[in-house]
Amino acid sequence: MHELEARGLQMKFGGVTAIAGLDLTVEEGEIRGLIGPNGAGKTTFFNACSGRYPVTAGEIRYRGQKISGMKPHQIAAEGLVRTFQHVTLFKQFSVLKNVVAGNYLHSRHSYWGSLLRTRKTREAEAGSVARAREILDFVGLGALMDQQASTLAHGHQKMLGIAIALAAEPKMLLLDEPCAGMNSDESREMIHLVRRIRETGITIMLIEHDMKVVMGLCDRITVLNFGNEIADGTPEAVRANAQVREAYLGSQAHVA
Amino acid sequence: MDKSDIIARPNRLVWGGLLALALVAPALVGFDLYMIHVGITISFNVALATSLWMIWSLGVISFAHAGFMGIGAYASALVLTKLGLSMWYGLWIGAAVSALFAMLIAVPLMRTRAVYFFMASWAVGEVIKRNFAYFKDFFGGWDGVFDIKPPVLDLGFLQIDFANRIAYYYLALFFVSLTVWIIYRMNASRTGTIWWAIHENELLAQHTGINVFRQKVVCFTIACTLVGVIGALYAHYQTYISPKSFDIWKSEFALVHLIVGGLTTVGGPVAGAISLTMVDEALRATGYFRTIFFGVVLIASVLLLPGGLETVPARIRKLFNRNSQK
Repeated sequence: MHELEARGLQMKFGGVTAIAGLDLTVEEGEIRGLIGPNGAGKTTFFNACSGRYPVTAGEIRYRGQKISGMKPHQIAAEGLVRTFQHVTLFKQFSVLKNVVAGNYLHSRHSYWGSLLRTRKTREAEAGSVARAREILDFVGLGALMDQQASTLAHGHQKMLGIAIALAAEPKMLLLDEPCAGMNSDESREMIHLVRRIRETGITIMLIEHDMKVVMGLCDRITVLNFGNEIADGTPEAVRANAQVREAYLGSQAHVA
Repeated sequence: MDKSDIIARPNRLVWGGLLALALVAPALVGFDLYMIHVGITISFNVALATSLWMIWSLGVISFAHAGFMGIGAYASALVLTKLGLSMWYGLWIGAAVSALFAMLIAVPLMRTRAVYFFMASWAVGEVIKRNFAYFKDFFGGWDGVFDIKPPVLDLGFLQIDFANRIAYYYLALFFVSLTVWIIYRMNASRTGTIWWAIHENELLAQHTGINVFRQKVVCFTIACTLVGVIGALYAHYQTYISPKSFDIWKSEFALVHLIVGGLTTVGGPVAGAISLTMVDEALRATGYFRTIFFGVVLIASVLLLPGGLETVPARIRKLFNRNSQK
């Protein structure tokens, strides 16, 4: 059984075909890179996996279960959680509360419990806060816990986005450009974090434009172009692939 | 500091003081019947604004809110005039009918967003009002329903007739305090966190596993249930209701109370409803110019006090800190 499996996946928006019949599998425990030129369909693939947009044709399976057609909150409950390319946070919340909110799936919630503040509810809420602190320490935001999310530096906001995703206790994470807009120090920190997340047993698939990050971090890389897979393999194999060079540099690349 | 942390640390002293003041208020005004009437109006407006604020914690404002107050009011009134059941039954029947309609309407309504939600809720409010007017035989048309008697509480050893305005004041105060308490508790808990998370970022909330649609329907239904109870209380206090009592304007005044009071804490709508109802009553003497003066007060408060009355404590604290640093 594959961790994540797309079969004949098609995504069309009106007349535009973003993904045209994609077959792709990700195995448990790997860090998979997803690269390709702008408009290749990378983020669309994540949107399909997370249930944000309905698939046009084909299907996506997660741990053998069909998830295409499910709603985003149902897919998150299955253990497949994504982050976003643009900073996506509960901006007016404190850093801690962002992660507490992200822990929704794993903390008992009832309306009566909220109203009457029963012991179970108080314990569940305290448990959520404790878990959120652990996660924030893990990603390295422990010292900024009480700050408002909107006041954080860009790099820290991206980290917080991952912390929120981790609070949902995923078995697989989809990271959409985790290093976008980061300086090299922040990038290095992020790479380190992604490795540590994998060590906790979470499978990772990530979109990234920074080739240094992708080549250094990923076990395998899948290359998309115009909604089709054009290469799949280890970083070395992908780097040597003529088709990939062409997609990135234009068809004259081999002449030069 | 984060606004929700302010909610989580209640200023018990202020709430306790406000409740104590409300309890002795009739004595303070010398049991003046007009002043007690103002007190009861304030109570209703506080409950209306606070429950509207609860919907706002999802990030939307419902212009149908007064309409649901009307559903509670009509249900309770008709239970009395047609079936002869007193308000003690009408309150709960009103709440249940309001809840039922709220849930049914929320299913399509909560699929709309932002400005579309405002327009759709506006239409819902208007349709509710028009239905009261249209089905003349059942709802009494534009003439409304008359002779909605206030209840009598018979405890055996003690009989309280709520036709007495002072008694009704305490009855209203009880239910309004209950409403505010319920909303306060919900908001300060995980439920509130979920609703504010939807308010802050619906997309992210969905992807953290929150069933956003279901939460919205539940929140809307709870808010309308609460306001349904208040509608029933309103009907038995006025003893007369008509479709015009529950039109869009009532929802809009509640929205103004929210804006002047502040949008981020429960204290906002409470402060806004109390102060603006008083201002409105004080302007009664100006007759025709009342709405104009009311508009001036509104514009002045928005210009001079952005963030609303709820920001006053923080402003005072800031002022003191600045002075002590000198």
